[in-house]
Amino acid sequence: MKKFKIFSVFCVFMLVMFTGGNSLYAASNSITITGSTTVLPIAQRAAEAFMDINEEISVSVRGGGSGVGIAALIDGRADIADASRPIKTKEIKLAREKGIDPYANVVARDGIAVVVHPDNPVDSIGIEDLKKIYTGEIENWKDLGGPNKAIVVISRDYSSGTFEVFKELVLEGAKVIDGALMLASNKAVSTTISITPNSIGYIGLGYLSKEVKALKVDGVEATEETVKEGKYKLARPLFMYTNGEPTGIIKTFIDFVFSPQGQLIAREVGYVPVK
Amino acid sequence: MKNFLYLVCLGFLIVVTASLTAMETKVSMTLWNRYTADLTGGELNESVFGLERGYFRVEPTFNDKIKGRFNIDLFSDDDALDGAGLKLKYAYLDFSEVLPIPESKISAGLIKHYFGTIYDWEYISIQKALEDKEGVASSTDYGLALYGYLPGGYGEYAVSVLNGEGYKKTGGDLDKEPEIAANLRVIPIPGFTLGGSVLYENDESERLAYAGVAHFSKGPFELWGEYLVSNMNEITGSGFMFMPIIKLKGKTGIDVDLLGRFDMWDGNTDVDDDGHMNITAGLNWNLVRDEKGAPMVFLQLQGERTMFEDDAIEDIDKLMAQLQWTFSNVF
Repeated sequence: MKKFKIFSVFCVFMLVMFTGGNSLYAASNSITITGSTTVLPIAQRAAEAFMDINEEISVSVRGGGSGVGIAALIDGRADIADASRPIKTKEIKLAREKGIDPYANVVARDGIAVVVHPDNPVDSIGIEDLKKIYTGEIENWKDLGGPNKAIVVISRDYSSGTFEVFKELVLEGAKVIDGALMLASNKAVSTTISITPNSIGYIGLGYLSKEVKALKVDGVEATEETVKEGKYKLARPLFMYTNGEPTGIIKTFIDFVFSPQGQLIAREVGYVPVK
Repeated sequence: MKNFLYLVCLGFLIVVTASLTAMETKVSMTLWNRYTADLTGGELNESVFGLERGYFRVEPTFNDKIKGRFNIDLFSDDDALDGAGLKLKYAYLDFSEVLPIPESKISAGLIKHYFGTIYDWEYISIQKALEDKEGVASSTDYGLALYGYLPGGYGEYAVSVLNGEGYKKTGGDLDKEPEIAANLRVIPIPGFTLGGSVLYENDESERLAYAGVAHFSKGPFELWGEYLVSNMNEITGSGFMFMPIIKLKGKTGIDVDLLGRFDMWDGNTDVDDDGHMNITAGLNWNLVRDEKGAPMVFLQLQGERTMFEDDAIEDIDKLMAQLQWTFSNVF
């Protein structure tokens, strides 16, 4: 009898918690976007343009990296996770456990441009040689037809989606050489390359500028056309993950990103539109 | 002397893994500072501050396919030298995709015990997982495990071969036969997980235990449920646990979770008056999270009452406050 009474009290407590708390997550007029620094320029520009025509909706955007964005979506701290890599099975499992059903919205495509200092005479590189540079097998530009200078290897850090894709497409799982400089953003890589004459690095197509020189990869230039046509091998889709198919104001925003205006933004920041 | 040797070994491991071999080495520490007040009978019978446990972890990533975890547990202990004890909690390597099974890994060493809720118990309530609390299964053990994800993130599975005596027993304390354990968790729809585990060992006596696990999560609500049966030396014990959680941050902006927990355990189902129940209520306040949302500074305030089937035994009331804090070189 004592057992029954205590268990009954516990059940009532649970019922109160589950029903009484039902109003805790009221719908709001704000959208939170977190994640990849590669997707960040699209998200930021799209958010600004979107809020111009939807004044009642507030959109906040921050970077942090693909892993951070996906973790925020899983924890309910973000409505949209920007990612420059596909979500991992482990992350899908974690999300499903927490009642989140990650849905991939491919908003643009990107090429990962291999960049060097503008004074570097080398114009082209093969994926095999690129792997050898990043694993320490090739250490001098003379082995690639360049000057007799040691190569300064620059990479994105391990938490970045750009690194994940580079690791998969170029390194094939191999370890980056210990002496490589691991930087936290595309912008940091671009800036460092521009002031380091014998360096090599990789950045999203959207971050290409006159400050760095993009190498052809396996004889193919990193351009919108070559990425769209599938000729450029270091290419990837860019995602905005939502919890299930987007609905409500999140759908309104995603629809905007897919609209001609949104896709123009993707092109303007250097990526390849998908629509 | 034993502690000194542990620390020398640990220091050596950190230096070697960080400077020479690993692609990346994560070094982290989590400490659980606890205050416990025993208020049984309405009087203050005990008032204790202590370090319940302190995990010092070194997690080297050697390459894409090999990762390690080394974990020492430091804790307050009256019987230990200078009032603090030290034990090895994890020491294993994970080898990914050794077998031609996608998204799988083999763990070898002092590994997680994939059984019930014990292997992913995050101490949302201060108390241990049911099987750990009732002595049915240890949280870690020496052996091998094949662990993997179901396609599409629809769940996870594990099959293990272990000593079966837990992390505290080694060498001469072990019996000859290994424990075989299997675990499966399925997530048929987002937010709803069902799982089952079984372990079996047959040496001089037979040992069989199985657990059913259910987890529900939607918005700010979460509910864990577990049913556990143990059969050891022909004595059958059984019990269950429910743990609802509600997250208040969405409404209040304060990162506080309310929780309740109800446990029932009958150590011998053939005997009357040997069972006990435990009811817990409290809150968890996340003071600092890292950028991926994991708690770094975490305050728990919980009250619990343990009640016994035997009316002659007085209920035990405890009030606990626990500060859990983590720091790390990599997030």
